Amino acid sequence: MSNKALEVTNLSAGYGENDVLQGIDLTIPPKSITALIGANGAGKTTFLKTVTGLLPGRTGSIKLFGEELTSKKPYKIAEAGFALSPEGKQLFPEMTVEENLIVGAHNVRARSARNQTLEEVYSLFSILKEKRNDPAASLSGGQQQMVAVGRALMAKPKVLALDEPSLGLAPIMVDRLFESIARIRELDLAILIIEQNVFQVLEMADYGYVLENGEVTISGTGSELLANDHLKRAYLGL
Amino acid sequence: MDPTLALHVVKNGLLIGGIYGGVALGLSLIFGVMRIINFAHGSMLMVAMYLAWGLWAGLGLHPYIGAIITVPALFGLGYLVQACIISHLFRREKAFVVEPLSALLLTAGVFLVMDNLVLMIFGPDVRAVSIDLAYANFFLGDIPINIPRFIAFVSAIGVAGVLSWWLKTSDMGRAIRATAQNRDAATMVGINVPLVYNITFGLGTAILGLFGALLVPFFSVTPTLGLAFGIKSFVVVVLGGIGSIWGCVVGGIVLGLFEAFASQFVTATSAQIFSFGLFVVILLVRPSGLLGKA
Ligand SMILES: Nc1ncnc2c1ncn2[C@@H]1O[C@H](COP(=O)(O)OP(=O)(O)OP(=O)(O)O)[C@@H](O)[C@H]1O
Ligand SMILES: [Mg+2]
Repeated sequence: MSNKALEVTNLSAGYGENDVLQGIDLTIPPKSITALIGANGAGKTTFLKTVTGLLPGRTGSIKLFGEELTSKKPYKIAEAGFALSPEGKQLFPEMTVEENLIVGAHNVRARSARNQTLEEVYSLFSILKEKRNDPAASLSGGQQQMVAVGRALMAKPKVLALDEPSLGLAPIMVDRLFESIARIRELDLAILIIEQNVFQVLEMADYGYVLENGEVTISGTGSELLANDHLKRAYLGL
Repeated sequence: MDPTLALHVVKNGLLIGGIYGGVALGLSLIFGVMRIINFAHGSMLMVAMYLAWGLWAGLGLHPYIGAIITVPALFGLGYLVQACIISHLFRREKAFVVEPLSALLLTAGVFLVMDNLVLMIFGPDVRAVSIDLAYANFFLGDIPINIPRFIAFVSAIGVAGVLSWWLKTSDMGRAIRATAQNRDAATMVGINVPLVYNITFGLGTAILGLFGALLVPFFSVTPTLGLAFGIKSFVVVVLGGIGSIWGCVVGGIVLGLFEAFASQFVTATSAQIFSFGLFVVILLVRPSGLLGKA
């Protein structure tokens, strides 16, 4: 077993003619929280789409605990243990909350443990248990975000990626979400999180990467990044 | 209208309408999940009917027993048409979204090939399965009900029930619904979307395998019957609300009743023209269909 939960080397990808990602190198250790920071349009979402296999990579390699994921089919990547809570939630709107969660455990590895994982998700987000039979589209934005995170957890991931989970949430919901993420960390997995709340996420994160124009420009531990002058000016407004 | 006659007309309309609904189920399923209008839908029913007829004429198999072969055969046909032909559209467009027009043209090509192949093999002659059951009736009060039509009608409702239950409760059914509602999210949760497409297409045409076998006892077979069934199925799907299974049955019954009443006043052929007129009116008044969301 590799001591790197996720190891991305020289990854390029993009849409049409242009490369949005221009040779990304990024490593996530097991049982950690890693933050990925960058301005709007820097390519953060594109990076996650490429790792899930939704967008084909053009160069480079992606490994999950040493297992080659490069150019595998998306369902094989999910089976290998990478799960994403996507930007904008992307729920199945007409399915109930519980159905959304159950579909999250579609991969073979997760399916046998489905009922147990469902209880874990319900204990993490108790409101979802109350709303289990409601259509996902009827929930508030914060609750829908919990469904998206819960659905990703249902896949029994080894690496969990969260793309702007706090987007559009009221401040109190953001705090609650961060508390839940801190509890997810105890589930023994590696978390990769993209956030606009740079200060809050770096306080929690073990490591951080800064993405600018499709390249990693700064990386370090959470506290190193918080002390970084460029980062302070560009992202923390200090 | 004389009340006894009216009752007969209602009976005829209900029976044929239920069958229209059953035949259209696959079209609705495929459209609901893949956003593809399968122009070859009716032709696939025609192929199923030739197969049922051939099994009867060649091997002496009663069509209801022949269904054991026609259903998997049509599943295979649909699966292969999707996997080998239509899937290329998805690959070419890279994203999982197909431009509706290119899919329509491609399936229209499949329709032309199938109709002409069958014409080449079997010629234009009308074929019919003649079994005693074709003329068997039971009586509901004073009204005779033709048994094979009744069986087809009940099967349509049965298939709709089983299909919606299966889509709701099975893992594959949930995966199909998830894919219909959000393809990218379905891909991300680890659903093998291309496989879901193949299976959905196969299921949609497998239902035609069943109805091919159920229809041949009272419906004669020609190489050109596909087009009318295809267009009527499309009308039914739009009437019932695209992708809605029970809407499909309701839409079929509405169309069947409408044709039955119209044919009291004009010839059966002109009655069909009226159903297409009805279709235009409904599109104007209720664009989302009868049971669809307004
Ligand atoms: N589907 C697409 N087709 C073409 N270009 C795209 C597509 N999605 C994103 N882009 C472009 O790729 C670049 C990176 O976008 P991406 O969504 O990855 O940024 P991001 O870092 O996630 O930004 P944000 O903070 O706004 O979410 C942008 O210039 C964007 O316009
Ligand atoms: Mg983004």
